[in-house]
Amino acid sequence: MSSPTWDEFAELALKRITASGAEYGDIRIQDSSTEHIEGEDHRIASIRDAKDIGFGVRVLYHGAWGFAASSVLSLEEVPRVADLAVEIAKGSASIALEKVRLAEEPIHRDRVVTPYRINPFTVPLEKKSDLLLSTMEAMHRQTGIVRSSASLWARRDTKVFVSTEGSRIEWDLLTGQGECTATALHEGRFASRSFSTPHLRKGYELIEEADLLREGSRVATQAIEKVKAPVVDAGAYDLVLDPEHLSLTIHESCGHPSELDRALGYEANYAGTSFLTPEKLGNFRYGSQHVNLVADNTEQETLAATGYDDDGVVCQQWDIIRHGIFVGYCTNREVAPKIRESRSRGSNRADGWGSIPIVRIANIGLEPGAATVDQLIADVKRGIYIEGHGSYSIDQRRYNFQFGGDAFWLIENGRRVHMLRDVIYHGITPEFWNSCDGVADQSARRRYGFITCGKGQPGQSGWMTHAASPARFRKIQVIRGEGSS
Amino acid sequence: MTVVNDKGPKMTSREEFRFLSDLVLTRSSADHTIVRLRDHHAGTTRFANNQVIQNVDARRGSLAVTVAFGGQQGTASTTDFTAGAIQETLARAERIATVSPIDPEYLPPPDPCVFPIRDTAKPETMAAGPSRRLEYASEAIGQCRMENLTGAGLVSSSTTAVGIAADNGLFGYERRAGASFSLTVQAGDATGWSAAAHRSIDHLKIQERTLAAISQAKRSRDVCELPAGRYPVILEPAAVAGLWAWLIRSLDAKSYLKGTSAFAEKLGRAIVDARITLQNSPDHMDLFGEGFSGDGLPSTPSRWIDHGILKQLVYDRFTAKSQGVATIPTLEAPILSVEGSAAHSIQDLIKSAPRAILVTNFWYIRPVNPRELMLTGMTRDGTFLIENGEIVSAVKNFRFHESPLRVFQHIDHWTVPMEAVNSETGKVLAPAMALPHFQFSSPTRF
Repeated sequence: MSSPTWDEFAELALKRITASGAEYGDIRIQDSSTEHIEGEDHRIASIRDAKDIGFGVRVLYHGAWGFAASSVLSLEEVPRVADLAVEIAKGSASIALEKVRLAEEPIHRDRVVTPYRINPFTVPLEKKSDLLLSTMEAMHRQTGIVRSSASLWARRDTKVFVSTEGSRIEWDLLTGQGECTATALHEGRFASRSFSTPHLRKGYELIEEADLLREGSRVATQAIEKVKAPVVDAGAYDLVLDPEHLSLTIHESCGHPSELDRALGYEANYAGTSFLTPEKLGNFRYGSQHVNLVADNTEQETLAATGYDDDGVVCQQWDIIRHGIFVGYCTNREVAPKIRESRSRGSNRADGWGSIPIVRIANIGLEPGAATVDQLIADVKRGIYIEGHGSYSIDQRRYNFQFGGDAFWLIENGRRVHMLRDVIYHGITPEFWNSCDGVADQSARRRYGFITCGKGQPGQSGWMTHAASPARFRKIQVIRGEGSS
Repeated sequence: MTVVNDKGPKMTSREEFRFLSDLVLTRSSADHTIVRLRDHHAGTTRFANNQVIQNVDARRGSLAVTVAFGGQQGTASTTDFTAGAIQETLARAERIATVSPIDPEYLPPPDPCVFPIRDTAKPETMAAGPSRRLEYASEAIGQCRMENLTGAGLVSSSTTAVGIAADNGLFGYERRAGASFSLTVQAGDATGWSAAAHRSIDHLKIQERTLAAISQAKRSRDVCELPAGRYPVILEPAAVAGLWAWLIRSLDAKSYLKGTSAFAEKLGRAIVDARITLQNSPDHMDLFGEGFSGDGLPSTPSRWIDHGILKQLVYDRFTAKSQGVATIPTLEAPILSVEGSAAHSIQDLIKSAPRAILVTNFWYIRPVNPRELMLTGMTRDGTFLIENGEIVSAVKNFRFHESPLRVFQHIDHWTVPMEAVNSETGKVLAPAMALPHFQFSSPTRF
């Protein structure tokens, strides 16, 4: 006897949910394959190939949620888990004060597939290992490099979502990424410099286009320059931030505060709340006129552009900040009605079959301006150009932040003069974004993906992409990342 | 209240793991083969705004197979425990290994040994299901509602079957249970927080923790802003644990040997106050001790910092062998203690402080400079000004920039080790500490 199909499992679960009297239910069945090759100091430290299959059932009963999941996909387990989800939802309903009401969404029946040129899972492992070994070798060739790492990562997710409302969506998604890091040692001091391709929904062409070998040599050279560079003097500087660096700034200081579940208190016990509370919607000056932050879950190749979210809602594009004013949240079907929005923005995502979907940051990006990067720098008397990610931390309402970076260059009289080290800047989110007085044009726009955005309890990893062109910020407080205590 | 069936899924037993691992080991053509099991069943009832917002139960079983031909190795894993899937997983691991470059650091599986048997599987926790979690959540929510305050928190319980087996006879299997509770109480802009974690769900002390969080939230209502600067502080155990977690994470032996560690050349030397000792106590009933590590090594009591002197590093097996380290210590059940006359309570520390900032917890601690182990982070959920032995006001939260290697050079006063749990560090036993200087670099808006 052949094993049941995913649709037959789904039908089995949804019948149990419907029979229970629940007003809504859905099932997600997912099969994920992940390949991760990690190199460290001239060697391939590990090659791991993980297969993860399972299903999760979500039930809304009398306005309260229940969710159950299992890695055992069988005719016995599916009804057990569906019944458990119903029972849990009934328990939640027994102490509910306010009933969950889902925003309306049309029924969708669709299939979403990542376009790709080269399937990373069919590229020979020897070729991928050789690339990483060569990259590390290139980094170690430079005198002063004492440690290196390089890695390749690829994932394929096949998934189906079926709801009691009649939606059925199927996905076949591919994601990849590669990176390398060199660490230099000089006079007892050490410093690292990294290169990372963005995480994108592309095939292995992403790695081939990146030229890891060349980038490895470049970051090794810069790691040596960085470790020998003078430490920054504390004070107020104009900052020009590159797109990779800005992706993290946007993520932490705009992305998380714009999650409506946080603003409504759902994450108060862990990830925190938000200073962007609902009464500020449409009237709060978040940034300067130059600041336009747009959520776009429709842009090809980006992580949150999956066609539909895990509520079965179509991916959309909308404004979060327009001309500096806060105008939009990331929402799901549950929270959208709480601010009188009739439709979800489609930002409800789970990190796998075993997790319940929660509101997630969309692909929020900084809209390009009109200047060139050179023009941004030319108008700086004393400033710092910052590339890449470094230390980061922000309070639980997303006001007080601190960011480092991966590489820093002193700007004097409109020119980048030399590298600096141990640069940390800090500030208060709306003050910082109000100090933005220029954004570079479309030609300098780059995209960077995140796959480890932590939120929820149990913790989940969210995926999204943040795009930006370099931008300039005036008079930002910089401190030394060494010896300042 | 609806009674929810607490009967969970049947977890992989010792005999079943033996059967599954034999299925792999007898079919493997590799020189060495290791099978690892992690069968995890967990439930969480999460609440916010005084009502349940998530109520979940999930079971994930995973089997990982690592094989090696000489120094060529590969690992494949699956969540599908059918015989066909397991054999296919072995085949994938073998395929990876045969094309992998030789790893000069590869070592065969550790020799078989008798692992310590620990009381890791509390039946009351393994039996706890959605109804028990809902009962506890309701208790906390009810208290908050009675006080006209808003509660957000969680109750969770889990059981994990963990196993390791290798073709040289190495075999270990253990069931590990755990339960946790945490609560943030909001009183307008003010918050109070408390948390607990234990192998036994009976030890979560829901009422006591809830009342503590409520009391703290009420105390946080009248808030003043203080300028950034260096202050004497009293750090509650969770705050102490937050700083120590990063110190412990930085003890990697390989970085130490390469000179890319804050501890370079400090092994065997004093790194903190000479009265401080950090040890692993896997038999302590309030901690999460385990019988064996993920590498298949026994977990035993060990001293990591002894009277301020750094005694241990975190070794991988290759680095340990190359350095002649015979026993690799684990640190899953840490106790941080201070020798000498301890204060009886945090209240006693407060009474003895002329002026200090009391910090309940830190949030979002991240390294700024790994050379000096300088960290940054925010105070959270209860930050107070103490004057003349009394709390006089709540203060707006601060960002800090500090190194644990600097601030723990001298401790003024301390308590005995107490339970410390926070979302970023797990559970440790750590004292509350009064420290003479702590650098707060900027205040936030609340």
